[in-house]
Amino acid sequence: MTDPLVSMLLALADDELVLGHRHSEWTGFAPHIEEDVAFSSIAQDEIGHAAAYYSLVAKITGDDPDRLALGREKHEYRNAILCERANGDWGYTLARHWLYDHADALRLEALESSAHEELGPLVTKIRREERYHLLHADTWLKRVSQGPVEGRKRLADSIGIAFEESLGLFEPFEGEQDALSAGWIPVSSSELRQRFVRQVAEKLDALGLPTHMTSHAEEGAEFVASSSGDLIASDNGERSAPSADDGFGGRRGRRTPDFDALWEDMTSMYRTSPGARW
Amino acid sequence: MSDVATLEEAVWEALAQVPDPEIPAVSVVDMGMIEAVAVTESRASVIVLPTFTGCPAIAVIESDVRDAVAAVPGIQDVEVQTTFTPPWTTARITNEGRNKLREFGLAPPTGTGPVLIDSIGLPRFAVCPFCGSKNTYNENPFGPTPCRALYYCKDCSNPFEQFKPI
Ligand SMILES: [Zn+2]
Repeated sequence: MTDPLVSMLLALADDELVLGHRHSEWTGFAPHIEEDVAFSSIAQDEIGHAAAYYSLVAKITGDDPDRLALGREKHEYRNAILCERANGDWGYTLARHWLYDHADALRLEALESSAHEELGPLVTKIRREERYHLLHADTWLKRVSQGPVEGRKRLADSIGIAFEESLGLFEPFEGEQDALSAGWIPVSSSELRQRFVRQVAEKLDALGLPTHMTSHAEEGAEFVASSSGDLIASDNGERSAPSADDGFGGRRGRRTPDFDALWEDMTSMYRTSPGARW
Repeated sequence: MSDVATLEEAVWEALAQVPDPEIPAVSVVDMGMIEAVAVTESRASVIVLPTFTGCPAIAVIESDVRDAVAAVPGIQDVEVQTTFTPPWTTARITNEGRNKLREFGLAPPTGTGPVLIDSIGLPRFAVCPFCGSKNTYNENPFGPTPCRALYYCKDCSNPFEQFKPI
């Protein structure tokens, strides 16, 4: 069985790496130049955080951080499925960015008092950088929610879709009970998930955006992850609107077709010339 | 013992000549990136704090620090360690470093230290490094490198960058 500390760090690292890669896809394509800069910079931050987590894992296991990031098979990644979804439109991008960064903030708040002596200070550092991501996401949510009807509708629809999948961020990682007992993480995923749902509901409410899906999420406090590990059927690489349980299984290595193209792109340099240096 | 103290000073002097690769006007010492220097006989160990977690210059800084210290007469062996304990913050930039940033055309970080995560929001303005005006606004909390934010000066009509407070 994987060391619970390693399993926890890989979940964190893979979330940051994979979503960081998605953000980087806006470089050169964002709707305006300032957002091109913003998403490129946020991507760089997230990938930097991933690198720091992979380095911690490498210290424990003797592995190589680059191999961990880029040299694993698809089923070995432990990111939440939310993070691997294609960017879609600007509404989906903002909805996911906002949900992810709020979820991550709650997780980091807990991890700052991890019993692991190096992880706590690293998380303190990361939180100082992450506040800019929250600022960015909150600013955009406010702007679009107060803007014209079409943008507001697209944002609200995307939040509905991304919210269901964002709960997959709180799927327990392998060995979580042991990690809790050891104090590697002081708060369980299910407690973090409850905090998240409450916070999202409050914030959406304050912006006048729909919150019906959050009350549903609070009722169903026990979430069930599909155990099949099946991939979702795909037509020409397009995905249909995900149903509620599509967002789960990421922590156990279930990957969707959206991950395939991302993985091919992200790891192509490493696979072509392993050990290449800049 | 006095020899070692002198050697330690020599190491600090050498480090004061190592530029930040992204902002060559300031040294790694001005930036507060050197947490500690220890010299035992001819062996020096240096602890470096990266400014931003994802700073792509970390490897370059490590190797520049190693080269500079290795060139100090009397030092045979150099160990460079990078750590996030304690976390680097913009409060570590020295006053001299702040002046050099301004001369370089980069507004120094405002405030005396890191802003807490729950007090979200950037300072309303940064002081324009070109004309000294406070009549400026933040155009983007992100910039061309992880450590920079973009501002605009309404008095001299220059865009400028600020070293982001963290
Ligand atoms: Zn000016």
